[in-house]
Amino acid sequence: MALHAPPRLERYADVPYEEKERLFQEVKADPRFPDYLYGCYECGICVAACPSARFYDFSPRKIAQTLAREDVELFYYQLNEDIWNCSQCFSCNRCPRGNSPGGLITLMREVAVRNGLRSAKEALEGYSRVIYKIMSTGTQVSPDMIQADAFPDWGPVAKETAENLDLWRRALPPETMHTTTTAWEVEDRTLAELYAIWYMTGTMDIIREVDEGLHMILCDVMEELLEEKGYAVAGGGE
Amino acid sequence: MANDAVLVVGGGPAGLEAARGAADLGARVVLVEERDHLGGTPIFERYAALTHGFQDAEEVMERLTREVTTHPNVQVRLLTRVVGCEGSAGDFRVRLAKVGDGTSETVHVGSIVVATGFQHFDPGRETQVYGYYEYPDVITLVEAEAMLKAKRFVRPSTGQPPERVCFIQCVGSRDRQIGNEYCSKVCCGIASKQAIEIRQQVPNCKVYIFYIDMRMYGYWENEIYWPAQEQYKVQYIKGIATEIIQKGDKLLVRGEDTTLGRPMEVLMDMVILSVGMEPSKGTREVARVLGLKQNKYGFIEVPHEGLDPVATSVPGIFVAGAAAGPKDLDDTLSMAGAAAMKAVATVRRAAASPAG
Repeated sequence: MALHAPPRLERYADVPYEEKERLFQEVKADPRFPDYLYGCYECGICVAACPSARFYDFSPRKIAQTLAREDVELFYYQLNEDIWNCSQCFSCNRCPRGNSPGGLITLMREVAVRNGLRSAKEALEGYSRVIYKIMSTGTQVSPDMIQADAFPDWGPVAKETAENLDLWRRALPPETMHTTTTAWEVEDRTLAELYAIWYMTGTMDIIREVDEGLHMILCDVMEELLEEKGYAVAGGGE
Repeated sequence: MANDAVLVVGGGPAGLEAARGAADLGARVVLVEERDHLGGTPIFERYAALTHGFQDAEEVMERLTREVTTHPNVQVRLLTRVVGCEGSAGDFRVRLAKVGDGTSETVHVGSIVVATGFQHFDPGRETQVYGYYEYPDVITLVEAEAMLKAKRFVRPSTGQPPERVCFIQCVGSRDRQIGNEYCSKVCCGIASKQAIEIRQQVPNCKVYIFYIDMRMYGYWENEIYWPAQEQYKVQYIKGIATEIIQKGDKLLVRGEDTTLGRPMEVLMDMVILSVGMEPSKGTREVARVLGLKQNKYGFIEVPHEGLDPVATSVPGIFVAGAAAGPKDLDDTLSMAGAAAMKAVATVRRAAASPAG
């Protein structure tokens, strides 16, 4: 039961209390939960260590406190708002009681995504390119991202590098780095294994919850390779 | 021969331990107690488990009492008060009066240990913001303790077990308005201990503790505070209630949840006021009769507290326990041992130099 309902909580007044409670219980039921939250001194060391707290109205302490107090209304607000301001750097793990506010946020994000909350979709919208790259290639930052137009602050070097990217890359001794569209050369065998992991751990289901379009594109790429390698993907579209 | 004895005033934990200590060192001890039984406040107020350690208060006090009453060097005078005192260190003549019939006797002792203790702050005394006299479900640590000892923790208004209980800390302590500016030292530990007992006896009851600072010394931290919060899910909220209002059959507690930065209005079935310590009537009276200086709060003054924690303003008269200010049991018993040693040393020194 909430100790008090501040006005901003009214944003989610339409959501039935039972639904908020259900999501709250889903977070608490996670086997990692007891190791992430013991008791809170409210000392603020996590906030002091938190880079996000310097720039946003965000407090890892309040995340821990809200869960400890079983304040379902405030939890639901944080589930939709606060948790997306965390950079998951885990500086907050220096807690003297051994809590991990960042870990609690991981659990909350997973619940938000798994349940396809609109706020989760919105928060992750800008990341679809990054997700596509990581999930389809296993690497995120690739040399061809160096574009003078995209990074004017990098100066004239960026332009020169971009123009002769292939040559620059070939100058590197390891052959596996003679790539431009991925950070290094990724073998098909590795990719197939990676794709299998995405499917088997339920990651593909999570992606479908937050971004159906992205899910479709990824499936096309992955299934083709998996079938080529002799893996059967259950349910065709799965 | 006449002045080889030690007088101990007060039969609570401090007085019993001081009497036992002095008697074990070979001195004759006269132990004076105003009530008709020994054991002091833990017995009189029916304490449940001790803070800290969780031992049964009655068992522990009975054991200590038995060791004193069966000691060949100790004479116990129940229902007896100290009404007069003459002389100086090594040579006191103390007049004792029987409560009720007024008969008196004079004992000749070499030194005195004052162990007259404290009394709980009466939350209705000067301030009525918490409605202690008004609402039956607003109680103090003292009444909660007795209910927990009886294993029947219920709302006084209904006789039913509560579903939501809160403690309000620092009632009558750390308050310039009331005049008790000091911390009573033990209430944080006792409230947390009681919170654990409530959760054990009434598992469905939610328990909140509203506090200013949690003062959990040494091992109280990991033995009481952490288990209360982590294992028994007691909610600690930094913020003190401003008032309590009856709302239907519940109590509305108003305050601020300071660390979440929001006002707070919560309905409770019961409110437990964590009342602090004040000098007992006996402490004030004995200080006057023995001519001991008292501090501004009425506790017996200890002029050199850091290095000589049991000496009073009068040579040959020592103090142990909460008569000298708020004390937990550990400190009380330690003081009692030190006071016993000093009291016996005073007697021996006087015997060694008959002229003095």
